[in-house]
Amino acid sequence: MKKLNIMIVAALVLVGCNNFDDNININPNVPSQASGTQLIANAMLSLSGLSSSPQGEFMSQYLSETQYVNASLYPQSSTSFYGWYQGPLMNLETVLTADDLSGVEGPVPNQLAVAKILKSYYIWHLTDRWGDIPYTQALMGADNFTPAYDSQESIYTDLFKVLDEATSQIVSGSITNDIIFNGDMTKWSKLANTLKMLMALRLSEVNPTLGKEKFAAALQAGVITSNSGNLVFKHLADANNQNYWYNQIDLQGREWWAISETLMDKMKPVSDPRLMVYAAPNRTDGKYTGLVFGETVNIDTEKYALLGKAIHAQDAPIYLVTYAQALFAQAEAAKRGWISGGDASAEDNYKKAIVASMDQWGADKSTLNNFMTQPEIAYSPAMAMEQIATQRWVHLFMHGYEGWAEYRRTGYPNNMVSPGGSDVPNRQIYIETEQFNNTDNYNEAVQRQFGGPESLYGKVWWDVN
Amino acid sequence: MKKNYAITLLFLLGFLVSIPLYAQQTVKGKVSAQEDGAPLPGVSIVVQGSSTGTVSDLDGNYSISVPGSESVLVYSFIGYTTQRKIVGNSAEINIILGEDISQLGEVVVTALGITRDERSIGYSTQEVKGENLTYTKEQNVLGSLSGKIAGVQVTGSSGASMGGTQKIKIRGVNSISGGGEPLMVIDGTPISNSNFSGSSGQDYGNLGQDINPEDIETINVLKGPAASALYGIRGQYGVIMITTKKGKKGSDVKVELSSAVFVDKVSNLMPYQNQYGGGSSQTWRTLPNGDKYVDMSVDESWGPKTDGTLARQVMSFYPQDPTFGQLTPFVSYPDNIRDYYETGTNVNNGVTITGGGANSNFRVSVNDTRIQGVEPNTSLKRNNVGVSLGVDLTKKLKVTTNVNYAANNGRRPGQGSEDGSRYLGQWFQRSMDMNRLKDYKYDDGTFLNWNLRRPSTSTGEITNFNPLYWANPYFLANENFSDDNRDRFFGDVGISYQILPELKVSAFVRSDMYTQNINSRASFGGTGNPGYSIGKYQNTEMNYEFLAQYNKVWNKFSLDANVGGNFYDRDYSYLSMATVGGLTSPGFYNINASIDRPSTTSYQQNKQIKSAYAMVSLGYNNTYFIDASIRNDNSSTLPVENNSYWYPSISTSLVFSEWIKSDVMTLGKLRLSYAQAGSDLNPYSTTSFFNVGSTYTGSSTVNTLSVPDNLNNPNIKPSFAHSYEAGVDFKFYEGKVGLSFTYYNQRNENQILNLDVSGTSGYGSATINAGEIVNKGLELAITATPYRNDNFSWDMSFNVSRNRNEVVELYPGIDVYQYGSTTYSSTTSYLNSYVGKPFGSLVGQAYKRDEATGKILLGGNNLPLYTDATHDFGTVLPDFNGGFQNVLNYKNFQLAAMIDFQAGGQFFSRSKMLAVRTGLDPLSAATNENGMNVRDPLAEGGGVRIEGISAETGEEVTAFVDAKAYYGVVARRIYEDWLYDASFIRLREVSLSYNFSKAQYAKLPVENVRLALVGRNLGMLFQNAPKGINPAELSTGSQAIGWYESGQLPSVRSFGFNLNVTF
Repeated sequence: MKKLNIMIVAALVLVGCNNFDDNININPNVPSQASGTQLIANAMLSLSGLSSSPQGEFMSQYLSETQYVNASLYPQSSTSFYGWYQGPLMNLETVLTADDLSGVEGPVPNQLAVAKILKSYYIWHLTDRWGDIPYTQALMGADNFTPAYDSQESIYTDLFKVLDEATSQIVSGSITNDIIFNGDMTKWSKLANTLKMLMALRLSEVNPTLGKEKFAAALQAGVITSNSGNLVFKHLADANNQNYWYNQIDLQGREWWAISETLMDKMKPVSDPRLMVYAAPNRTDGKYTGLVFGETVNIDTEKYALLGKAIHAQDAPIYLVTYAQALFAQAEAAKRGWISGGDASAEDNYKKAIVASMDQWGADKSTLNNFMTQPEIAYSPAMAMEQIATQRWVHLFMHGYEGWAEYRRTGYPNNMVSPGGSDVPNRQIYIETEQFNNTDNYNEAVQRQFGGPESLYGKVWWDVN
Repeated sequence: MKKNYAITLLFLLGFLVSIPLYAQQTVKGKVSAQEDGAPLPGVSIVVQGSSTGTVSDLDGNYSISVPGSESVLVYSFIGYTTQRKIVGNSAEINIILGEDISQLGEVVVTALGITRDERSIGYSTQEVKGENLTYTKEQNVLGSLSGKIAGVQVTGSSGASMGGTQKIKIRGVNSISGGGEPLMVIDGTPISNSNFSGSSGQDYGNLGQDINPEDIETINVLKGPAASALYGIRGQYGVIMITTKKGKKGSDVKVELSSAVFVDKVSNLMPYQNQYGGGSSQTWRTLPNGDKYVDMSVDESWGPKTDGTLARQVMSFYPQDPTFGQLTPFVSYPDNIRDYYETGTNVNNGVTITGGGANSNFRVSVNDTRIQGVEPNTSLKRNNVGVSLGVDLTKKLKVTTNVNYAANNGRRPGQGSEDGSRYLGQWFQRSMDMNRLKDYKYDDGTFLNWNLRRPSTSTGEITNFNPLYWANPYFLANENFSDDNRDRFFGDVGISYQILPELKVSAFVRSDMYTQNINSRASFGGTGNPGYSIGKYQNTEMNYEFLAQYNKVWNKFSLDANVGGNFYDRDYSYLSMATVGGLTSPGFYNINASIDRPSTTSYQQNKQIKSAYAMVSLGYNNTYFIDASIRNDNSSTLPVENNSYWYPSISTSLVFSEWIKSDVMTLGKLRLSYAQAGSDLNPYSTTSFFNVGSTYTGSSTVNTLSVPDNLNNPNIKPSFAHSYEAGVDFKFYEGKVGLSFTYYNQRNENQILNLDVSGTSGYGSATINAGEIVNKGLELAITATPYRNDNFSWDMSFNVSRNRNEVVELYPGIDVYQYGSTTYSSTTSYLNSYVGKPFGSLVGQAYKRDEATGKILLGGNNLPLYTDATHDFGTVLPDFNGGFQNVLNYKNFQLAAMIDFQAGGQFFSRSKMLAVRTGLDPLSAATNENGMNVRDPLAEGGGVRIEGISAETGEEVTAFVDAKAYYGVVARRIYEDWLYDASFIRLREVSLSYNFSKAQYAKLPVENVRLALVGRNLGMLFQNAPKGINPAELSTGSQAIGWYESGQLPSVRSFGFNLNVTF
């Protein structure tokens, strides 16, 4: 009995031990702290994905599919936006809501400003693709697993405000870990104003009054003034940070994409010097042959111009917000009368924009004068809107989603085709998972925008024509 | 409060053992066992009709005072026939007790290795004897349980996988996250059954396969929480308890040799069409000189008819090929895929030595298995060494140890849609001669590939011989292989001390440790960059255990009481590295050969659980039994302030055959139980952290960090399972017929889930306590001996179980849990669970149908329209599972056969879908209603006939559409067409053996020889799924639920013989 009692006590002592080493449940394999600029830097790594997507190229018909032709036929399938929220946006939100940012890596207001500018850029991109999206209630983690969708109009309104906040809070001093502008806050400020200007232009059809006001204010505040101020994601000659198309074309040997006839028709007849950068001549007769967009049968890739070497180099950069875009915007604004100068200013900006584009793409400018004087290209007041929009679309090559947004707004280029009878979509379809995980808000957003089931052809708020 | 619980329990225990004794006249004696004459300690000796009693001591001696010579002494002991003796004039009565065969199931091993009389157990357990496992030399213990235990579902993998995963689920899916594998325990030592496989790639198998099946004496499956309650947090999903064979004290040294040789053959390939060859169009492609050539840039078989037309085939474009420039007939190779597979062999040799001295026993076993796979260049070598020792240091003090070593060296085939050679049934040309591809390397070191870019339209030559989408399968097998090896030790050292005849204390140190290495290579000359990766994974699990056992029988009462404690400590670490951006030089496979900064991960993990437990079982009159247990677990993975939890259980057993005397019913027992069990979660799930992102080296090096996709939860609680179980056990006609029936209801609530949430919250998933999943089921097991005489006997056993599952609740605002998804060609299907439905609905794109008529809606081109990927096709869980085993003995012959079966359940087959889409499958070259081939031009009556309703006009349409266009939609977008019923009846094993024994053949130089002819995985007696797809082998690596099939390895049938010699 005595021994039994001892054992009972021993067992009870064991029960009493519910203490472990204090750190036993702290993960030793990953950092438990992150600095603001490390999170921002990670959000910057995602920038290239805004453009590195065949889907975007199909939306603006820059590239035609050569094999397994399907995605370019505009199937009614959904596209997920989760990656953007869970990836760069959540990193930026963590910075924006942190209460312990360190000034060691640059002034805290500047870190916050950069986070706001990047967040605004991503959100703008998303709302232009899908329409209404979760915004004010998004990125709250456990506080809200079912965020409501904000209307695109209210998102635009808020983004204008946030970009203003960002530029006004910038103080002197650079931030570290900035893989875009190397900490140059002046460039960030100009980028913010340029974003605001381009967003304002997007309102040209739905609310020109507001658009004009915001455009002028942004221009006044100072926009990008040279290609060195471009928002560019510079890939590296390193497998960890290499260009998407390099992986597809060079490493996986995929000849799945050819230059579309749609693009070729706007470049080849006018001997556009950028064509030799954009495209490689076909291997049959060395000519620049475009492939009809949406062609599905018997495609021999040898016969068509594929992507130019510079576009799919391992370290080929991704151009996102550029000086030329800012100039095209000013040209259009002048033509619209949003800013002063009329046709003269429009023409001046238009020409500068083309030159900036040539510079950006590294085109051979020896034939530039010939190019600029051709009737299709030379500025004509009667054709100005089309010329500006078309040249902007040519310039936006490989930034398909932006080219598509401008096409939806302006209707140019005028030679977009409808593969298999399907027109260029007006938006993208929300990921199905939202119907399960965020049911009420999803239904509400779809009903509010489309009054019925959603499709590729529902229109986003600013797309009123 | 918590401690009071245990104290009360132990008070009760103390009270019961201190009942006083009194007496007048003394009888002495010794109790021994009939089978080996060894003394029996702990035997209850009671004066009948009184409360006087004692127990035998360690030497079996007893002494008891009796009222007079007319007194009757009752000797009883668990598992032995009770004897009664009239005292008479004897002062010494020696008693030999025989084992009681009439008692139901005799003694069974229960949780913590405690042996119990089966009639006292108030919950269902089912035992499989070792000899039933090794008839056919199945290497994976879990696989050999398939069909043998009611309520257990085993999902296997193809024999071609070389030691691939066998998954086991007890009583359905008890976790909304689909996980919930039972704990594996061998001789009391919990061992890891984890898995290093993904859902594609090499299937390294579940680690439980390191147990040598030859060593197994019995396997007991503790199915419900009541049975496994003493394992607490680790036993929520049941326990597979394995007891190994041991030597016997005082027995001669016995040597046993076993040898088995098996031949493996691929048995169940999909059918393929043989009318059309490689290409995307029936129109021939031509070279500049007008020669026809086979389109080597297309990995499909929608090409021209294989009518012998002379054409340039891909080999003829290689200048170093003997057929360079030649035109050869374009024909089909009906067996080209079968030709790829080889005949596998499986050689198994083992030696066992058992014996014992006066105070000791030992068993040593050595086993060597060598398998050559059916896929070229695949192999598995496994060695097992097992040592089990027991020494009685004194009469009271015993030391035991079990040490097992297992070594595995594998080179296994890849599996999954696009891994290794698995593309062959999915993207291939029917006109490709596999025997030409076999010599994959030319003398100059270059590789022969079948899938290249087309020849130049100007020169007609090919200059780029790098494979386009797919490399030569022999190149993949011989150059791009993956090697793995694992060294593992597991076992225990224990010491026990018999303080009193009734009381034993023991302590154990238990350990399971392994090192797993995996490396894989991608050679120059394949698709993509060459590369090399290596991983080293180390795991050490220690259990320190203490147990006190008290058994006493007096009068009509029996008492079993156990108190114990356990400390569990697991250390896991790994280091993995992979080259990035290619290798510096061919043939140099090393991380040092990485062109860019290699990716590396180092990881370590520690987990501890501290537990204490007590169990009391009280019996009356060998008729009424009641058990109660309580366990406390403290898990280091739970939040500090909330890491201690209690799990109680109670069960009762009523042997009602003691009331109803019947000639027919030998035994009848009713059992009822209730238990709670819990489970914790992985380490590091309660604190926040950041992920390390890519490093970007621009003007300076930037190390990026990111917020992880899953949101950890600092307030997590363990999940709880509540289980009720009721059942009856019968034995009729002296045990010739046995029947066991169980109903259970298990409610798992407050589950710890990584619940998928809207990504717009910033997280893809969140660790939360939520949800409730209920399983209800019936289990029936029948054993029978329909006939038995001296020469002939027939034994059979049958079991079947039915489980019904419902997800009752998830998280507020979220009605679906996504278990998994698979995407191919931008089409995704999901395995989702919805509130109010069973776990695991297959969800994907279906035909869009007219609401009124249910007919398919057609688009403008008469091709079917389809829904988005939200159509619920219903659950993948089966309705019934079971097995049927027959053993016939005639003189020295034995014939045994085993069938396992499943009714219901379903899965999605991507192999079938792709085979149709790419024109490999006969469906794509079928004859249509016009008597024409579906590939013939529409104008000539070809095409696939389609009936439906035009979505535009609402009118009924019957039309023929181009086959390639039709399957381009149906076999790519519409998953509805590629779902199959998972029902099957499988002839799993048949063996015919003959036994030579010295007793019969006096000249035999050895004790015994047994020779068996064995067939394993003989084939399906029935299946609804199409030929070539095995619904019983849906195990895809480490996925907990097999719900789709994609590049499944072909089934393998094995034949061989098995020789056992005992000296």
